[in-house]
Amino acid sequence: MKKSYLKSTNSSVRIRMAVFFLAVFLLAGRKSASATNLALGEVHSTLFSNSFNLKENSRDRIIRGRVVDEKGETLPGVSVQLKGTTVGTVTNGNGEFSLNIPADNGTLVFSFLGFTSVEAIIGASGTVKVTMNTMQSALNEVVVVGYTSRSISQLSSSVSVVSGEKLRDVTSNNVSSMLQGKAPGVIVSASSGSPNAEPSVIIRGSSSITAGSAPLYVVDGVIGGTVNPVDVESVTVLKDAAATGLYGSRAANGVIIITTKSGKAGSNQVNFSATTGINQVSMGNFDVMNSQQLYDYQKTFWNPANFNRDRPATLLSQDTDWSDLAFRTGLTQNYTLSVSGGSEKTQVYVSGNFYNEDGTLETTGRKTYNLRTNVSHDISKKVKLGARLDVGFNKFQEDASGNYGALVGATRNLPWDSPYFADGTLKRGTEPGWIGREQDNFLHGWQYNLDDTKRNSLSGDIKLDYFITKGLTFTSSNRVSYNNSKRQLYYDVRAKAGSGLGRLTNDMAFSSSLITSNRLLYETSFGKNNFSTIAVAEAEKNFAERNALLGQGFVAGLRVMNAASQILSSGNANGSINENAFSKGLVQVDYNYDNKYFLVGAYINETSSRFGANNRTGHFYTLGSSWILSNEGFMQGNKTFDFLKLRASYGSTGNAQIGNYQTLGLYSFSSQYSGFSASTPSQLANPDLTWEKVKTANLGLDVSVFKRVTLNVDLYDKTSEALLLNVQLPFTSGFTSVIQNVGSVKNKGLELNLTTLNLDKGAFKWETNFNIAFNKSKVLRLDQGKDIITDNGFSPATIVSVGHDLNSFYMRKWAGVDPQTGDPLWEKITKDANGNSVVTKTSVLSEATSQFVGSYTPDFTGGISNTFSYKAFTLSAFLNFVSGVEVFNSSRTSFDSDGAYETVNNMLPRDEWSRWQKPGDIATHPRAVFGGNKNSNKLSSRYLEDGSYIRLRNVNLGYTLPKSLLTKVKVSNARIFLSGDNLWTGTNFSGADPEVSLGQNGGNSADRYPISKKFLFGVNLGL
Amino acid sequence: MKKNNRKLLFLLGTVLMITTACDKDLQPYDSKSDETALAGPDDLQTATYGSYAGLVSADYTRFQHILGEYSSDNVALSGTTTDPLYNVYNYTDFPGNNITTSFWRQAYKVIFSANQIIGKINDGTSPALDQLKGENMYLRAMAHFDLVRFFGRPYAQGNGNNPGIPIIKTSQGEEFPARNSVKEVYDFLITDLLKAASLMNIKKDSRFASKEVAYALLARLYLHKEDNAKALEYADLVIKSNRYSLLSTAAFKNYFRSIPESNPETIFAIRHILADNRLKGAIGSMYYNDPVTLSTGWGEMYASASYVKLLAANPNDARHSFIELQLAANGDTLKRGNVVKYFVNKYNWQEGVANLSSPVLLRLADMYLIRAEANAKLGNAGAAISDVNIIRTRAGLSGNQLYSTSDLKGKASVLDVVLEERRLELAFEGQRTSDLFRNNKPLVRAYPGFHSLDRFNQTVAASAPRAIYLIPDRELKLNANLTPNP
Repeated sequence: MKKSYLKSTNSSVRIRMAVFFLAVFLLAGRKSASATNLALGEVHSTLFSNSFNLKENSRDRIIRGRVVDEKGETLPGVSVQLKGTTVGTVTNGNGEFSLNIPADNGTLVFSFLGFTSVEAIIGASGTVKVTMNTMQSALNEVVVVGYTSRSISQLSSSVSVVSGEKLRDVTSNNVSSMLQGKAPGVIVSASSGSPNAEPSVIIRGSSSITAGSAPLYVVDGVIGGTVNPVDVESVTVLKDAAATGLYGSRAANGVIIITTKSGKAGSNQVNFSATTGINQVSMGNFDVMNSQQLYDYQKTFWNPANFNRDRPATLLSQDTDWSDLAFRTGLTQNYTLSVSGGSEKTQVYVSGNFYNEDGTLETTGRKTYNLRTNVSHDISKKVKLGARLDVGFNKFQEDASGNYGALVGATRNLPWDSPYFADGTLKRGTEPGWIGREQDNFLHGWQYNLDDTKRNSLSGDIKLDYFITKGLTFTSSNRVSYNNSKRQLYYDVRAKAGSGLGRLTNDMAFSSSLITSNRLLYETSFGKNNFSTIAVAEAEKNFAERNALLGQGFVAGLRVMNAASQILSSGNANGSINENAFSKGLVQVDYNYDNKYFLVGAYINETSSRFGANNRTGHFYTLGSSWILSNEGFMQGNKTFDFLKLRASYGSTGNAQIGNYQTLGLYSFSSQYSGFSASTPSQLANPDLTWEKVKTANLGLDVSVFKRVTLNVDLYDKTSEALLLNVQLPFTSGFTSVIQNVGSVKNKGLELNLTTLNLDKGAFKWETNFNIAFNKSKVLRLDQGKDIITDNGFSPATIVSVGHDLNSFYMRKWAGVDPQTGDPLWEKITKDANGNSVVTKTSVLSEATSQFVGSYTPDFTGGISNTFSYKAFTLSAFLNFVSGVEVFNSSRTSFDSDGAYETVNNMLPRDEWSRWQKPGDIATHPRAVFGGNKNSNKLSSRYLEDGSYIRLRNVNLGYTLPKSLLTKVKVSNARIFLSGDNLWTGTNFSGADPEVSLGQNGGNSADRYPISKKFLFGVNLGL
Repeated sequence: MKKNNRKLLFLLGTVLMITTACDKDLQPYDSKSDETALAGPDDLQTATYGSYAGLVSADYTRFQHILGEYSSDNVALSGTTTDPLYNVYNYTDFPGNNITTSFWRQAYKVIFSANQIIGKINDGTSPALDQLKGENMYLRAMAHFDLVRFFGRPYAQGNGNNPGIPIIKTSQGEEFPARNSVKEVYDFLITDLLKAASLMNIKKDSRFASKEVAYALLARLYLHKEDNAKALEYADLVIKSNRYSLLSTAAFKNYFRSIPESNPETIFAIRHILADNRLKGAIGSMYYNDPVTLSTGWGEMYASASYVKLLAANPNDARHSFIELQLAANGDTLKRGNVVKYFVNKYNWQEGVANLSSPVLLRLADMYLIRAEANAKLGNAGAAISDVNIIRTRAGLSGNQLYSTSDLKGKASVLDVVLEERRLELAFEGQRTSDLFRNNKPLVRAYPGFHSLDRFNQTVAASAPRAIYLIPDRELKLNANLTPNP
């Protein structure tokens, strides 16, 4: 048998139990008379002892045996049947069975969903040991969906599963960022390459405007929680309504379910892995001018007399590469030690992890210490206890140079200014003769300042399973988690940012979350009808508080508040407390007939404190069905299809991701006048505010052919109603906006996930996974049809308008350069006498017409990975891509500004750009004019660029050391690897990196922390 | 079976109790509902402090200053900047200018806050409540007046028949108001300020509005309206109220470091306490950088060469105290962008803190100069010169440094004498640009600074479209009833 090329099942004991029960009931259905007559107590003892003893006559022979999978792990719940009879049983929790057979010999048939059936001839010994192999299909993976686990083949919904191994190809400390490109329809985008950055995640396009578009995270079956990437067993992404159903009320943006590793009964496993390497900054297509280039450029637009006076040629003797001074080659280290194992009754998984990443920007970095313990224990035959504890200590260091920060300094500072005095000591930038605008040398601030955050997080779960009676299980999952953090931002008195006094900000935050989720599961079957019903009652309370304090007047180097000469009260000192509460009840019924036809339906009712007293509760429902064609008789014997399934689902989900207390009309008491407590109107009331609802229809096809190709296709239509929106108000109202339920947005899309085994010849194997997702968004309806324009004056304005993409830019449209004058031109749209639009050009920005100029919704996103293996070597390469997205390169308003700013550096123009020089020139760039050419660098579509890119996220070359070498040193397995992250990016984008946040208010590339390339070496040892 | 049922019921009961016991009626910790926040006299007092706090916001104080002063000939910018203050300075306002947009927003927030309180108080309930109502009416009027002078053409142009700004009189007004004419706005403000003055009968210090504060703003408003008799009348009322007195020459040199409530010359100031220190976001940080630490401000906007020259006519003029020439260690004059570094210190060192100041919006010297200008325009040359000389004398000038009707020291008219004195006295206090344009005089810059291609010459006519600011683009997009400024 070929080894499974996809990850085999790694279901927890709990999941196996569920399957085990199901198998028992199936069997019980067949043996209706005897089984239903059994006393309940007897059933229990049967289930939890080692045999399922069917009363037959005494001459029967007892056959005993054990069933394991290809890894040697026991398989509970496997159906064992004497061929040609109705005599049969299922394996117990240890994979063992004993069966009375009414004959001396025969053949036993072992079958289990997701495994290839095995037949074994009963020999003389009366014992049988069987190894079952996983079917070669990802469709057999058991995944945690909602509050239950299912084999993917049984699902009627759209889910994507990423195994822990696949997740961990790139080296990072953030699960979300590791998910990039690995699941179709999941768009992960980061606006910063800092090791401390949190990327934004969007599943199937954004369906909200003001309410958050982040998916719901569920760790080990309970909403919220924390997880370190090294402990991840698998990540399941739930996308359609049928899948997200049970989290429905909060799942409008999809659900990401993370399951952590657990111990397994059997031998203890000790694993050690170490990865270490270097990070280097990646500036992409972007570069700034050097001394000579800037000199030559400025000469073109300065008044000659002024130029000769203020820009003497002696400046050319200095050519500082500020970027080179700001960035470094950093170190990344990731060490994990884990132990897992246990007995029949108790299983344990313990891991410790240390992660360190030096940011490529000097002084930035992240250190994480993490400890996880997962324990499960059978208290009795009926009660099982699970406990999980995740403890993390994090330290984040940020650039504390002060003022505008080193990222700005690295590109804006002038090459003519030297950071050093002649004697090698550092300048601050305020010295006479310094030309650069910000008069700031970040190297100087770095000597003294500090910006670090320490964070402790703890998440503890207690889970109780109580097997009440046949088919009926009560489960209570309870979690307490908290986060504690303290940031200190210290500007030393010697540094410019210290404002001559020395300043310290302490910002302390605490948040806690309590959640209890109580579930009653009932499973039954008769004949080929299988039912599973779950009822859930859940309550959640979240609390957060913050206190910040600013002190000033510190003796150099002292950075505790105690040493402050002044504590500044309001403004920079503040405190806040926030609370919210949710409670929910739901019922879900699963039905399947003969493992061919599946139906699932659920009703969810959830109440949240965030909504208005009039509309606090939301009702949601889901319906899903699927049909496994390959289990039909007419498909039997078909050599082409290994598996074929059709899925359809429809349902509603909700979104409550808005701030707390938003429904109330409020006066805020956070200000003062002359020391008197003051109240100011802060919020308009909206007592009718209610849940945003998303209705999703999904059609899916899962097909596996020739035992080589697996394809999943999903078509969806996702329509959000009662959209939560900050409706912008004219300022004359006294407010900026009010949150309302307004309008409707539709997202339509197609997702493909294709896994192929291209080659499998002897020692050589080649596999490919390709996923791609297309999404189109369209605003269907808005309150009174009114457009919603968001324009804050310093980032590109956006518009929400019926018939258009949700993420549309609304700006004045660039119309190039006037060939006669070299002036900038924009489009001006007027109406003629007949009411037709007439487009003319103007060089007066305020006369130009704001219009739709593009959107930052990508046409498609995805990833492709290839894995080659030859004997002990494996080579994998993973690319992710984003296409058809427009990104506003707002840095260019400064770097590419036609002479507007003579004291900041400029970017090197790209080869295809041209500058207007003389009348008749057809140029991309206006005439450079000292102080700026008619506001040519203000917000307009001029700086909107194609942000499409394809990136080689990871290349990994691994070698598994031969066993012969290892046994001497008592190591059971060892693998070494070389890995490279972000080695290459293909893009036309002119900035350092085209990746920007594609979440709300995204599509804007400002001075970002560039991503880093990582070169790593690693070793994994199993003892 | 029964036993199991009991257990089950118990479990379900417990679960239901836990999950439904959760209270969903959560209230914020730092806010109160509209009704409770305005319930009684104390609440109305707290909310009135809130109206003042709206002025303390940098969006009001700092941007009011930038829009009023950076466009004048008193200042010289020493380099370019991405901050839109650059566009205010060099008359290249653009759509989406954060300064005009934020000022517009904050002014209407103050108006809303005031309207809420005005709507809650019936006249004559009590002297204290009448006073509060009057204070809010004053604040509402002041915010409207600032808006109309930035976004509407000067009254003198077209006699107020140009578009002004929307008048917002109630907190439940029109959702999409159109612009009222400049005249309508002035008429509304005059009515409002007269009513405010009649309601305010408690003598609060200069951190707060009171009867004379309303009179002082009326004097300025009438002057802008060219109703010179009324301007004279109200300036006179303030001067003769005897609530205020000019500081001595010596004390004057430290005028702007003192706190308003202890300064007898200040009529109304926006009090900033230490907690309101805006650091580099303060007005003072653009004008000044502590020469010792060179760490407190940007120090990029200097007193213009033309202002320095005017002041230099009398080296003993006490108003030299408000500008500080920066010298290098070797005694050389420091420059930036070829502009001589004359720091302006009118917004620094209150209570010993580098960037702390309580901007003075109305002071007695201004009342003398308003009376002088009104008299000059009414043909009362002697009275005008006399008031100008009061101000000059206080500045330490004497003898032939003073004017007489027979000696205007080369000035073409008494009005020119008064306007020059206004410039000298009220420089950097946000009056200069208005003073030029409302008198139909052009702004003329002929000094080093980043205001033109040659970094020297710039002239803006009072009738130029950009002599006023563009209506914020955001507002035009959201409110179709607003008309843009060309």
